[in-house]
Amino acid sequence: MNVFLQQLINGLSLGSVYALMAVGYSLVYSILNFSNFAHGGVIMLGAYFGLYAMTLLPLPLLGGLIVAALCCGLVAVTLEKIAYSPLRRRNAPSLYFIISAMGASIFLENIVVATIGPTFKTYPTVFEKTAIQIADISVNKIDLMMFVIAAISLLILVFILGKTKIGLAIRASSYSSRGATLMGVNVDRVIFVIFMIGGVMAGFAGMLFGMRYTVYPQIGIITNKSFIAAVFGGLGSLPGAVIGSILLGVIETFAASSVSNYRDLIAFVLLILVLVIKPSGLMGKVVEDKA
Amino acid sequence: MLKVRDLNVYYGGIHAIRGIDIDVNKGEIVTIIGSNGAGKSSMLNAISGIVKYQGQIEYEGKALPQVAHKVVQSGICQVPEGRVIFANLTVHENLKMGAYLRNDTKAINEDFGKVYDLFPRLKEREKQIAGTLSGGEQQMLAMGRGLMSSPELILLDEPSLGLAPLLINTIFEIIKEIKSMGKTILLVEQNAFKALSVADEAYVLEQGVITAKGKAADLIKDPKIQEAYLGKK
Repeated sequence: MNVFLQQLINGLSLGSVYALMAVGYSLVYSILNFSNFAHGGVIMLGAYFGLYAMTLLPLPLLGGLIVAALCCGLVAVTLEKIAYSPLRRRNAPSLYFIISAMGASIFLENIVVATIGPTFKTYPTVFEKTAIQIADISVNKIDLMMFVIAAISLLILVFILGKTKIGLAIRASSYSSRGATLMGVNVDRVIFVIFMIGGVMAGFAGMLFGMRYTVYPQIGIITNKSFIAAVFGGLGSLPGAVIGSILLGVIETFAASSVSNYRDLIAFVLLILVLVIKPSGLMGKVVEDKA
Repeated sequence: MLKVRDLNVYYGGIHAIRGIDIDVNKGEIVTIIGSNGAGKSSMLNAISGIVKYQGQIEYEGKALPQVAHKVVQSGICQVPEGRVIFANLTVHENLKMGAYLRNDTKAINEDFGKVYDLFPRLKEREKQIAGTLSGGEQQMLAMGRGLMSSPELILLDEPSLGLAPLLINTIFEIIKEIKSMGKTILLVEQNAFKALSVADEAYVLEQGVITAKGKAADLIKDPKIQEAYLGKK
């Protein structure tokens, strides 16, 4: 029982960081209808921004998180301006967006290899004692922090989307950006905001991931898993992205504890199974207008 | 109020609108009738700033910006063909989107009241997801959403499209009511008879060119129009 609880907690914390990443994929997909594969590159940069903020400046943990989040938000928005905005103005098909995104992802990875180098780096120790003991269960402080930061960020996002005007505009644009434009929404601004939100969350996710494991230029690859989680939950649906991520994190952790070599295999088999049974994912869009 | 001069719209090599002039006076219903592909929607989309054009569009004596959200800001709102409601949002949220550029909470709430008076069906379904509404209800929602921007000029694109005859009558009754609220309406329709019977002024658009214009009451009696658009020989 205790082992079970222990794994569940580990899984939840891993899943919540996947969720932070998956939300960025989902938000962009919901409005621009393409998978932003450069998102992994932004997450990778987040790990480096946080690392250098904490070692070079040096800032405390919270300062590092803020620097990583802001820098990633900025990178994501700039990326949109350079790589996607020109395509949008020409109404390019989504295939071109995906290729542009892949190009951007390779660019980001290589610029880090070229300037910082391909070596593995680690964060300075933040917590003296690494685990908290509750009864028989020991919880890694970093895991706990990952979960708390992810949960707070996601709650803030839910608030923004549900209760604010720009949130309403984002949801409306996700259904029809033409309709939103006709209502006076400046869709360029909506797109700026979603890339900013995705970038900020990528900054948190990248830094947390880097702290938990190590920092290296190919760290963006792990974001493939969060993309899987987003598809699994229903690409374009935010609750879907979060639920898909948590499920993936938990399933992966349990798989790793019993048959560790099959961990990634299980994730991909799961994705294929879900897509075969329900191609739109667990919570994919089903509403349509009757026009 | 609205003055369109020498308007041209191109889609690649296709010259969809070929130098048309249109005038809309305050408080009137002006209708543009014409068959499929005549360029009616292109004209409205040009005014709304979502299609690039050449020529002049003047609104209240000033050149109209060619940017969609600035057009809405100036007081012109389009109720697009095929409704284009936000099927994932509730009825109430859809109406709120109509008021997106407004900040006057008190006046917005008053307008919610007016729209719900005009369309009691929407009030009943306030909390419902808009995608679950019937076609007629979605048309009402699209019109209500347009009114929520508190426009002076409303561009209505094919409001009768795909609706049952009884509902079409209801929609046209509502168009008259909107006029009596002091709004100006530019109505694009394929249902020429209905459109001409509510309009003050009318234009006939054929393959991007205005081929006839005049008082709607005169055009409805014109033998050529009757033959081409009203199905009479």
